[in-house]
Amino acid sequence: MIVVNTETVPGFVVVAVKGMVQGNTVRAKHAGRDIAAGFKNLVGGELKGYTELLTESRRQAVERMMAQAQQLGANAIVNVRFTTSAVTAGAAELYAYGTAVVLQEPPA
Amino acid sequence: MENAIGILLTIGSLVFMLGLGYFVGGWRERSHIQDLDRRESGNGDFVITQVKTAMDVSVNGPPPTLLIGEAVIASDYLKTFLASLRNLFGGEVRSYRTLMERARREALQRIVEQARQAGYNAVCNVRMQAADVGGSNVAGKKAMVMAAILVSATAYRREG
Repeated sequence: MIVVNTETVPGFVVVAVKGMVQGNTVRAKHAGRDIAAGFKNLVGGELKGYTELLTESRRQAVERMMAQAQQLGANAIVNVRFTTSAVTAGAAELYAYGTAVVLQEPPA
Repeated sequence: MENAIGILLTIGSLVFMLGLGYFVGGWRERSHIQDLDRRESGNGDFVITQVKTAMDVSVNGPPPTLLIGEAVIASDYLKTFLASLRNLFGGEVRSYRTLMERARREALQRIVEQARQAGYNAVCNVRMQAADVGGSNVAGKKAMVMAAILVSATAYRREG
């Protein structure tokens, strides 16, 4: 499945629009990671645990979005957007949404 | 007497944590920026644009794909302290500006590295977004200061 955040896909034409698809997730890290982040806040530097948290949440949200697109019979998602929201400290909600379409290579 | 020891301990721990921020935090920031400079100088002719439509697309390249990069960078104690001082007098919070810049550059560079590894030589439609992992927008909780950036872009093969 082709997933892009542009409105069109170079080299393909959109033959059918299947509608908006979405996926979201709220994830948190275990308390140990939060405590480690508290210490990191004294000395600065990358919070690997929270970077991981964003990566995992984003993957899960995109997977859910792709599953929905598959169910609609689409073979691509265009114009994908992400938003995040604050639910509580140390947790992240990630919401991915895009338009499910059917792509085809144009006749040469 | 007991009071004096208490005051001394309070001041001592404050000075210790400020020193930790100044020395360890400063060193970590410098080495991170050096690391970013080094990695970015190796990008060569990789093209980053934020226009919606890909330009100069190669016809026989791999299909374009969505790439996402994340980076969460923590503030140190000194930065947080300086920012709270700045909050009294107003003006530019310089210590946080470098923090945001590092997070953005790091997240974008991760996208560039992913793209190059997958055989692409350009990205378009770069979108940057701040996430609130530290809980600054959550009422009734003392937030941790950090810059959490989520960058998304479409990677494609460019002609020439």
